[in-house]
Amino acid sequence: MTTTFVEVDVRPILRAGGEPFEKIMQAVDALGPGEGLRLLATFKPTPLFRVLGSRGFDHQAKEVGGGDWEVLFSPSGAPADKVEPAKPAATDDQPWPEASQHLDNRDLDPPEPMVRILTATETMAPGEVLSALLCREPMFLFPELAKRGHAWRGGFEADGTTYKVLIRIGTAAEAGK
Amino acid sequence: MPGVTLTRWTMAYFGLALVALVLAELLMAFGFGYPAVPAEAAETLVLVHVVAIGWLSLLLCGALFQFVPVLVTHKLYSDTLPLPVLVSLVSGLVLLIVGFLQMGGRLASAWPAFPAAAVLLSLGFGLALWNLGRTLWAARPLSLAARFVVVGLCSLGATVALGVIFALVLGGVTGHAHLIELTASGLPLHVIAGLGGWLTFSAMGVSYRLLAMFMLAPELGGPRTRAALYSGAAALAVAIAGGVAAICLEGSLTLILSVAGLLGLGCCGLYGADIVHLYRARMRRAIELNSRMASWALASLAVAVAAIIVLLGAGVFTRYVPAVVFLIGFGWLSGLGLAKLYKIVAFLTWLECYGPVLGKTPTPRVQDLAVQTRAVKWFALYFLAVWCATAALFVDAPLAFRICAGVMALASIGIIAELVRIRRLVDVKTALRLPPGVRLPRLLHCSVQHA
Repeated sequence: MTTTFVEVDVRPILRAGGEPFEKIMQAVDALGPGEGLRLLATFKPTPLFRVLGSRGFDHQAKEVGGGDWEVLFSPSGAPADKVEPAKPAATDDQPWPEASQHLDNRDLDPPEPMVRILTATETMAPGEVLSALLCREPMFLFPELAKRGHAWRGGFEADGTTYKVLIRIGTAAEAGK
Repeated sequence: MPGVTLTRWTMAYFGLALVALVLAELLMAFGFGYPAVPAEAAETLVLVHVVAIGWLSLLLCGALFQFVPVLVTHKLYSDTLPLPVLVSLVSGLVLLIVGFLQMGGRLASAWPAFPAAAVLLSLGFGLALWNLGRTLWAARPLSLAARFVVVGLCSLGATVALGVIFALVLGGVTGHAHLIELTASGLPLHVIAGLGGWLTFSAMGVSYRLLAMFMLAPELGGPRTRAALYSGAAALAVAIAGGVAAICLEGSLTLILSVAGLLGLGCCGLYGADIVHLYRARMRRAIELNSRMASWALASLAVAVAAIIVLLGAGVFTRYVPAVVFLIGFGWLSGLGLAKLYKIVAFLTWLECYGPVLGKTPTPRVQDLAVQTRAVKWFALYFLAVWCATAALFVDAPLAFRICAGVMALASIGIIAELVRIRRLVDVKTALRLPPGVRLPRLLHCSVQHA
């Protein structure tokens, strides 16, 4: 199967000191089935190899003179990596994103830690992760999280007294289960 | 890790328990049972069991069904068993009272109340033990606090077994020689297993956790707590197993109980040191009413233990056993129970009402459900009346005792009124009281959260 390549030249952006990542990803998202990407850059864009590799692209990179590089990203035929939203986020063996909010509730009277955690979760978007430190396992919190469709992971830290819980905000659909 | 939900019938346990408390106090105020009649009279036995089963055991069972899962971070084995347990225990208690009244000649019927009571009470406590036992078993390895509860539950088993033996012998069902001997001499073992093992030891375990939680103190689990657990468990094992053996094999019960007593005193000393440490190491400087009142209950236990030592030293302990038992029952166990109820009822009510809307709409805090400045007067009156009543028993002043018992009943009703106000959200500011999605809770039944 011959691959047609859509060309993206990010050299002007890089020379102007800009960040071309967003433009590259937009171009990748716009690719049709069987289409590849011909990227022109001012350096060998190694980090991109992994990012696009995870989305099912092989790469061929060559120096084209003047320090510039041409990289051909072509569909590898292997199914695209499943990290993307195609798969429901419910399975728990996948890595979670970095926590976007942190709470230290260790010095609060019960049930104040629970109030703060639930208040914070109400302000967060689906998929975001909240991290909270507590001084005991929050047994009464878990049913409330389950009812609201959030997932959680928790455990005592190495010191044996701090309990760290990570809460991933669920979608309304999950809450309805 | 499913977490812990509200137990549907916990409030019904608490409600019936409080009815039994007030009933017992009124009986005392009207001169029913000791000291108007001897400590072993049928009327006294009625009174003692209204307190031990009706008030303290129902209170503790209700609390354990809700808090053993928190203690061991594991779900309760069965959510359906608590109701049959409650029905069995209450009906068993009623029949037991009937049996005592028959025994004392106050009821003429010959209906076999004792055997029926034995069946119902062993069924009720058996199911409770099964439910809590399975929960604890599934949660191994257990924390030290939970192990105290395990020892308490084993003692409950022993208490019920002895009680059933007494009931069957007194009900004329069995004439086995050893069982008759146990009924004749085993009363101290029944009291030690019930009051010392089931009620006190379980309360110790729960208090370790609740006091640490409510005062933000570090959880205890060091060698001293371990020593308290082992010495207490050994004391109970020696007293109960050794005591039964001594009675059946005609050994010296006094010797056995002395050894158990020394171990028990050691346990109380270690526990006391742990609790003083908890209060000192707390991060929360201004403690709430429930923890302050719990310290009064703990002081009552300390005084009772000191009194036992002094009276034994003076060789007059036997004469004052009822006064010491009264102080343990009403100063320590009931005082601690009422203090913790004040917190627990507020917390469970708050969780039931506002848990589902937390973070979505402004909600009151737990402490907004209670008015501590009003409740403290009733608690102070209660403890004052208990201590005066204990003194009246020591100096043998029956009328003063009855007056004090009446004041205890009044104070208890005052505390119950505060609990009802908490449950009905009476003291919550109107603006926050019933936001959309929040229903007024029912008095004796919790709406269970479904995940």
